[in-house]
Amino acid sequence: MPPDGSLALEVSQVSRRFGALQALDQVTIKVARQQIHALLGPNGAGKTTLLRIVTGLLQPDSGEVTAAGVAAGPDSREYRKAIAMVPSGDRTFYLRISGLENLAFFARLDGRNRRDSLQRARKCLEAVGLTEAADRRVGVYSHGMQKRLAMARALLGSPSVLVVDEATHDLDPEGARRIRALVVQAAERGAAVLWATQRLEEVKGFAQVVTVLRSGRVRFSGSVPELLATVELRRFLLRVRTGSNVPPTADQLAAALAQRGSVQATPDVEHFIVTLEDEVLLGDVMNDLGAHGIQVVACQEERSQLEEAFLRLTGDGEQA
Amino acid sequence: MEELRKLPAFFRRDLLVLLSYKTAVWTDWIGLLINLVTFSFVGRLVDPSRLPQFGGSRATYLQFVAVGIATSGFVQVALGQVMAAVRNEQLMGTLEALMMTPSAPATLQLGFVTFDMVYVPFRTSLFLVMAHFLFHLGFDLSGFGPAAAVMLALIPVVWGLGVVSAAGVLTFRRGGAVTGFAGAALTMTSGAYFPLDVLPNWLEAVARLNPVAIALGAARNALLGHAGWSGIVPTLLKLAPMAAISLLAGGLAFRLALRRERRLGTLGLY
Repeated sequence: MPPDGSLALEVSQVSRRFGALQALDQVTIKVARQQIHALLGPNGAGKTTLLRIVTGLLQPDSGEVTAAGVAAGPDSREYRKAIAMVPSGDRTFYLRISGLENLAFFARLDGRNRRDSLQRARKCLEAVGLTEAADRRVGVYSHGMQKRLAMARALLGSPSVLVVDEATHDLDPEGARRIRALVVQAAERGAAVLWATQRLEEVKGFAQVVTVLRSGRVRFSGSVPELLATVELRRFLLRVRTGSNVPPTADQLAAALAQRGSVQATPDVEHFIVTLEDEVLLGDVMNDLGAHGIQVVACQEERSQLEEAFLRLTGDGEQA
Repeated sequence: MEELRKLPAFFRRDLLVLLSYKTAVWTDWIGLLINLVTFSFVGRLVDPSRLPQFGGSRATYLQFVAVGIATSGFVQVALGQVMAAVRNEQLMGTLEALMMTPSAPATLQLGFVTFDMVYVPFRTSLFLVMAHFLFHLGFDLSGFGPAAAVMLALIPVVWGLGVVSAAGVLTFRRGGAVTGFAGAALTMTSGAYFPLDVLPNWLEAVARLNPVAIALGAARNALLGHAGWSGIVPTLLKLAPMAAISLLAGGLAFRLALRRERRLGTLGLY
């Protein structure tokens, strides 16, 4: 359920075709105020097409999009007032002029006068930690700084809907963390956030709702725990040793498993990949390994549960 | 009104960008002056009796061509800049960012060229004043006002054509060649570098309808023939309907091009 129950973005039955390619097919997404809604999907799933429709850069063949109650249309300025976007690319600013002048320019296109624009621009630069770089040309900004500047621009008009396209995909962990923190702040101030990403792990503890697209269709829509519940993990990477600190062999592990799964050795003598049959409980296996004198030093998912769910929903699970 | 208040933002942005390219500004001016020096030598080859009279007295070739250089430069820059503005926004990746702002398409069209529509007439006027003093051209100083008014009246004509070119850039991406051709054709039939009566009769008849030729004739009459303010009224009346048609065509073409790009989803492609 939406945190405050009010929908800010509604994408209803949107379809879009490019020649023979059905890029989007009857896609419906609803994002509430203060909600972060992650959009996942492999390349070509239709994420970018959907974001371009949501931002008004592309018209759907059918279906409707509304933001803050205003319907999208080719000339709807009210709609564009309600939406802001952080694009995936860097080159969306005037590189020869300063960050402050760039923001002031875009603020004026939002309808503010020069003085208000400068004030708002400074405030947004401060919010993203770029105050000291405000008067430097954007051309000398680092990649991460440009991303934060894009975030600052998106926040200029206090939008009802914030669309973020792959904003962290090429940032270092600290840069990505800063961007996510800014998005969380925007959501806390009331924005509905539609966040397209390929970084599966970052939606955990960040997004409240996830939609998985594949071939233009919604394959899953629900909470992160619901997404995780769609898979049951079967493969684990175990680090093991015996009481004499000598690594066990694969045969010793297989004997302890007793036909309840398979064991695969790795180049590291202490590590093995264990694949369990359905219905077999990991805890039981751990106990049995201990009973066979094999100590489990560490156990981790051989692939993340989220990645497993993603691959299963997008059709590549069998190959993985 | 709210939309018009956005135009100074475009002006400031483009002024800042221009000032960041200081060398380009100086070389532009030096190029103009070299052009004039070149034509001062060419003028020695021209038989003055072939040149038209303005206000009963015959102009020198340098006087004649200085106004032509200024005006054709005005047309080339204005026409090219309108098209280049859209192209530059595409290449810089800022076109989509602009299209996402709550601005009317007409605001963006105007915004793209606001700076040039101020800077280019300023550049033209300053060029003529400098030429007047550096080469002792003997322009009628009271003619600068009427000549500038004619140039201002030419702005919407050129702007409309530029917007048509910009629509072509949005649709076909590389419309520079078409704009270059259009600019060259307008200049050739404008009488900037030679009197129109040296053209074949049929081409001269066409050239007489060229708005640049009409404006150029009036500017020369003001600067060389002491025509005054009353002398430019017929020209302004001729340019007004041309401006209306040009603006309508430009506005329509741009809107259709934009709609097409939004339909196809290719706005940011270049």
